[in-house]
Amino acid sequence: MTPTTATATGSGSGIQKESAAKRVGPPRFRSPRRRRSARTRDRLFGYVTLGPVLAVVGLLMAYPFYVAINLSLRGGEITNLERLNDLPLTFDNYIFVLTDPGLLDDIWRSAVYTLGVLLPAFAIGLALALLLNRKFPGRRIFRPLVLLPWAIPGVAVSAAFSWMLDASYGVINFLLRSVGLIETNIAWLADSDTAMTAVIIPTVWKYYPFFTLVLLAALQAIPGEQYEAAQMDGANSRKQFKHVTWPAVRSASALAVIITGIGIFREFDFIFPLTRGGPNEATQTLAIRIYTEAFQYFELGVAAALGVVTMVIAGTVLIAAGRSIRRESA
Amino acid sequence: MRELSKTRQYGLLAIALAAVAVLLFPVYWMVMTSIVPSSLLLTSSPPLVPPLGSTSMDAYTEVIEGRPVLQWLGNSALSTLGAAVISTFISTLGGYSLSRFRSRGQEAMGFTLLFSRMLPGTLLIIPIFVLFSTTGLTNNLWSVILVNIAATVPFTTWLMKGFIDSVPVEIEQAAMIDGCSRLKALWHVVTPLLLPGLAATFTYASILTWGDFLFARTLMSNPQGWTVTVGIASFIGEYSVDWSGLMAVSLMSTAPMVILFILLEPFLSRGMTAGAVKG
Repeated sequence: MTPTTATATGSGSGIQKESAAKRVGPPRFRSPRRRRSARTRDRLFGYVTLGPVLAVVGLLMAYPFYVAINLSLRGGEITNLERLNDLPLTFDNYIFVLTDPGLLDDIWRSAVYTLGVLLPAFAIGLALALLLNRKFPGRRIFRPLVLLPWAIPGVAVSAAFSWMLDASYGVINFLLRSVGLIETNIAWLADSDTAMTAVIIPTVWKYYPFFTLVLLAALQAIPGEQYEAAQMDGANSRKQFKHVTWPAVRSASALAVIITGIGIFREFDFIFPLTRGGPNEATQTLAIRIYTEAFQYFELGVAAALGVVTMVIAGTVLIAAGRSIRRESA
Repeated sequence: MRELSKTRQYGLLAIALAAVAVLLFPVYWMVMTSIVPSSLLLTSSPPLVPPLGSTSMDAYTEVIEGRPVLQWLGNSALSTLGAAVISTFISTLGGYSLSRFRSRGQEAMGFTLLFSRMLPGTLLIIPIFVLFSTTGLTNNLWSVILVNIAATVPFTTWLMKGFIDSVPVEIEQAAMIDGCSRLKALWHVVTPLLLPGLAATFTYASILTWGDFLFARTLMSNPQGWTVTVGIASFIGEYSVDWSGLMAVSLMSTAPMVILFILLEPFLSRGMTAGAVKG
């Protein structure tokens, strides 16, 4: 195989010749012009394959996002989108949203709901991951079983818990009464003191499997020698967790917490079917309020402004969280 | 993995059994409620195991006769299949682009996809509802399919990118040297190696679309067009809830995804964790 044959055939066009050339010699013997056009074609292919994603994101996310911002800046009754631009531009919606004393309550409830789900879901997820990382008979069967709630539709989960939490016949009241924790039934979903807990429980149930999944993968990536070394140094299991296990799963945990946190912050499928934000707005998070403003009161402008404010809040928290994680791991 | 003594292994097994018993109790209670007559359950101290000879499938037949449950399930199946297939196709192409071409366009798109996950669904649905009602797309299953594609593609594209990253570039380069075009190399060489990734993406998109409530509820106002999640939600909050029927419908809505999940869970776990651990 000499370079001369390769250059001779390589300069020709057509797939047949090109492939023949490539078989005899490495591609670097192609003429520069060919290489450039191939590279352009290559780059074009890169954009063509990205096209459908671009179309979906552009048409169904970027453009609606633009419309949402437009809506949030328009005054008056919004009835027809085609005439949206005839309406006066104004900050009234934002002024209304930001000066409404109820906004702080909504933010507070969103925070309570998000953290109220996040912490127990993480704890359960971590405990199960640690358990499934040990060797015991039947371990392989347990993994899909404990991950199962993730596959169940959120609304079906809500339905199951609305029955289990029922004030008169709910099995949770029955079990709590049987073990003596309560004396009389609690109207979990109808009482504004317990409603938040009652919507948090099903959400935790749906979200913990994701933590199990991510943390289990991180645990399985820890080499066994690290534990052996720690044992030789006389570390007990608590010290092993602190110095071997936790450092290895910390970054995976942080990422999973952030991803899940965003998900819970905008969650709709539990609160809305169970309480619609009630009773007495006790479970009205920002996500629920946006929806109610838009589709119950048809205040599209106010709802859109509230949505933009919500995004700004979420973004700020996210940037702060990202920064503190980076500082900690640095 | 440390070797444990037999007794400790059985101890762990006992803990695992206890954990599963507690965690899967809601599923058990759903099944129990759907097969035991309401008269036995609507008491302040319901039996925890079905009394002998009392079980029946009446709740299922009654609820199917009383409400358009099969229609709801059919609508869910159609929109899920449509969204999952299209979403898998789109995100395979997009994931390939993000994985193999690292130019500015790809970087910007990768970032946009991450950012789009910040958009609250309840915000996004407002302009989409307005847009779709202006163009007459509401009460059409395609509207649900389209929005669910948009909701899943940002994540599934990253998921596919992760799987494609793990396919060595040399394999398709070899195919291209042998005269394949890039598209042919992608189809004949890369895709067959991506079956786990395709399975993971399809499962993820299916579970998300099947479980979607927000978009379907807002875009399909006509009960004939409801998906099963919207149907389920219509039971909750009724003055006198038919709990057996509700649990029966909920289980019917759960079964397909549970089967899909158990079959394809290993692939999904691999993809999700690869993506999440790498960051």
